[in-house]
Amino acid sequence: MRKGEKKRTLFGRFKTIQGTMLVSFTVLMVIAVVTFMIIAVHYTNNSIYENSVNYTTQIVQQVNYDIDSYMEFLENISYIVSRSGDVSNYLFNEKQSEEEKEKERDRIIAQFETIMDSRSDIYNIAAVAKNGRTILNDGQDQFAEYINIYDQDWYKEAMEKKGGMSISSSHVQNAIEDSYKWVITLSKALVNYNTGQNEGVFFVDLNYRSISELCSNNKIGNKGYIFILDDKGKIVYHPKQQLLYGGLIHENISEIMLSNEEHFVSGDRLYTLSKSQKTGWTVVGVVNTEELFKNNKKAESMYLIVSIVLLTGVLLISSVISKEITKPIRQLRDSMSMVEEGEFEKANVAITTQNEIGSLANSFNVMTERIHTLMEQNIYEQSQKRKNEMKALQAQINPHFLYNTLDSIIWMSEAGRNEEVVLMTSALARLLRQSISNDKEQVTIAEEVDYVKSYLTIQKMRYKDKLEYSIDVSPEISKVKIIKFALQPLVENAIYHGLKYKETRGNLLIKGYRDGDKACIVIEDDGAGIPEDVKAHIFEERKVEKGRKGVGAPNVQKRLQLYYGTEYGLTYKDREGGGTVVVVTVPLLNRPDEER
Amino acid sequence: MIVVAIYAARGVHDQEEPRKQVIFIPKTLDKTNGFWTSLIEGSRLGAEEFNMDLEVVGGLSEEEVDEQISYIEKSIEKKPDVLLVAPCSYSETANVLKKAVKQGIHLVLIDSVIEYDVATAIVATDNYAAGEELGTYANSLLEDGKEIGIVAHVKGASTAIEREAGIRKGLGDKANMITETVFCGSSYEKAYSQTKKLIEENSKLGMIIGTNEYASVGAARAVKELGLSNKIKVVGFDNSIEEIKLLEEGVFQGIVIQKPFNMGYLGMKQAKDIVEGKTIKKNTDSGCKLITAENLYEEENQKLLYPFIEQE
Repeated sequence: MRKGEKKRTLFGRFKTIQGTMLVSFTVLMVIAVVTFMIIAVHYTNNSIYENSVNYTTQIVQQVNYDIDSYMEFLENISYIVSRSGDVSNYLFNEKQSEEEKEKERDRIIAQFETIMDSRSDIYNIAAVAKNGRTILNDGQDQFAEYINIYDQDWYKEAMEKKGGMSISSSHVQNAIEDSYKWVITLSKALVNYNTGQNEGVFFVDLNYRSISELCSNNKIGNKGYIFILDDKGKIVYHPKQQLLYGGLIHENISEIMLSNEEHFVSGDRLYTLSKSQKTGWTVVGVVNTEELFKNNKKAESMYLIVSIVLLTGVLLISSVISKEITKPIRQLRDSMSMVEEGEFEKANVAITTQNEIGSLANSFNVMTERIHTLMEQNIYEQSQKRKNEMKALQAQINPHFLYNTLDSIIWMSEAGRNEEVVLMTSALARLLRQSISNDKEQVTIAEEVDYVKSYLTIQKMRYKDKLEYSIDVSPEISKVKIIKFALQPLVENAIYHGLKYKETRGNLLIKGYRDGDKACIVIEDDGAGIPEDVKAHIFEERKVEKGRKGVGAPNVQKRLQLYYGTEYGLTYKDREGGGTVVVVTVPLLNRPDEER
Repeated sequence: MIVVAIYAARGVHDQEEPRKQVIFIPKTLDKTNGFWTSLIEGSRLGAEEFNMDLEVVGGLSEEEVDEQISYIEKSIEKKPDVLLVAPCSYSETANVLKKAVKQGIHLVLIDSVIEYDVATAIVATDNYAAGEELGTYANSLLEDGKEIGIVAHVKGASTAIEREAGIRKGLGDKANMITETVFCGSSYEKAYSQTKKLIEENSKLGMIIGTNEYASVGAARAVKELGLSNKIKVVGFDNSIEEIKLLEEGVFQGIVIQKPFNMGYLGMKQAKDIVEGKTIKKNTDSGCKLITAENLYEEENQKLLYPFIEQE
């Protein structure tokens, strides 16, 4: 019950089921599409982010792996040279003669040269000792005059480190005269076997490009890049190093150094880290998130357009569908309003569907049919009833009049007035024939007037000079139909209630004429007139005389109005100079006789 | 319906904004020239970062003004959105660049300017500020009572005038210790001989300031050769291997160097802002840096001093 009420407020605003369906579909579709879009965009974002992280991680790890294996390879070379003993011997063995030293030096240089010839990425191979003895490349190159080698970072780091190689950050090697090259220095302390102390350093300078190219060759998207930090957070390689120093761009190095995560987002950048145990370097992949989601923007607008187009399409289709679904309902509604107006014949609904509405329409048709039948039956019964009533109401010839007439005939024949007997008897016979023969409800005015004439012929013979009458009916209305026995009772009333009480001769005038679309028949007498108290109740049925049914004015009036409607019927007036005028009106064009 | 949706979506997909075209004509494409290599590198990075198409064209020598003019003319025909030019000549390139501007091409001047004020933007080292920085440093070096000699490059050259004015500002009250300004016409030899002459004529001379690479190196060579490194301080401008070596040796006390990489990058940044219709500052200082023996090998200075010129 409550649910029903709630529903009414929810959907009650709409005037049509079609509208309700359309709006409901729209709302549902919009909700569904929006939900779908949110989920899709969210999912796309996530998957883009994850893909990017995976992809960058792969690249960064690959770069790190490449660097590691490269460094390992070079370390192996370095170990071979530094452990061979020749270098240590040359640097620290004070017992060797100059000649021996020279030979030792040549051997080492030959070794250095072999390596440098086979590896173009090695710029310098050298060893320096605290005691000032050095050996460098092919023996021709010199250490720079004004540079203190022992003060160089790579030298100090190697000396401090217990075993293993030190790997420097990228720097300009200024220790070699006239050569300012960008290198990465691998350095290793040399032990003087006499003292057991680190007293020299062996180092290899790598072309910086061999590292930088590993990074610059790996592009991540359009704006992404890779850079390398050493274990102190110094930049080994950065494609935009100069801009960084110039303060034109900013890289959040401290955040990277402190981060334990493998990837994180800072500002508009996604950082992916890979730290190498071997070099201590951190390879960092940077992806511009804006760029990352630029494609997603496209995807979003694509989703949007597809949704709008689909939505529009679905709405168009659903409007057609809802129209189709509600079409039989609307037809049913139209039929019902026709039934309301009583047009049963047109109200039959064509059944186009087999669903609930189809059966509803079917039931409706059956129901309409039933109602129609019942109504027709009702109408028939009503008309039968009226007919019966009419018949009952049709005035019979007043029995007193018949007795009196017959008495008159007897009295006249006893007196031997044969001619008069014949006349009256024939008039009576005509009267009786007219009243019996015709089974129709209506007759023409001419026939009715003939009937009245027969009646008056008899009365005239009875009342002789006391009654004078004239009949003047326009031929224009002679064919107009009027219910049977409408005039005779009125004429009878005029004689018995009007003229009969007059001492002198009574005149009766019957006129018939057309008045617009009505036919009027006037019955005028100059008799006693109707007393006021009677006039007020003239159409009320009453016992007028003992033993006589009230078959006078009320009867005629009732029948006329029953048959023609209340705008027709009788009108009583006082005649000027005494007497009564009664006007009978009937329609000029009458409905055909309903004979069933 | 679905097909329509897909087509509509594809329409959106295809709507790529066309990349802006930029042509850069530096003074030289000489790969051994660290300054210009670094500058071009900066502009390339800028182009990449700002999503613009950059074409770098030019001759191999700064002296070939006619060649540069023909490059500019060819570039105008290509109708780029922005033209970046480092004009080789103040007067001779002026007309052709004016023509470019008349044809609706935005002009950004790099490093140097021209006679007419037609450029939308200029990116260069602020020579006055660079001079001031060197002057301030010189002020702190100068011993009391010692006098200063200036070896300038070309008389009347705007850079020489601006730098000297900056130096005088930086020296402050010691500016009156400048006894003489000589001109070397951008020649090592002349700078060398002029310096020698200065030293010989003035026993109170305690400092020599060079206004460009030729003047500075020429002066330093003279001081080194006369063995007066301890007595006479030398400071100067610009950057070369010889200057660095002389700095390491202690002949130079300091040099002020430009930031070519930044210059190239900022040139592209201006180009980007121009095509995007942003309001821009007309003059951009790409900055300079005072290098001394102490900060020579600091991480950030190495990149400035030793650009990645072609290593063999």
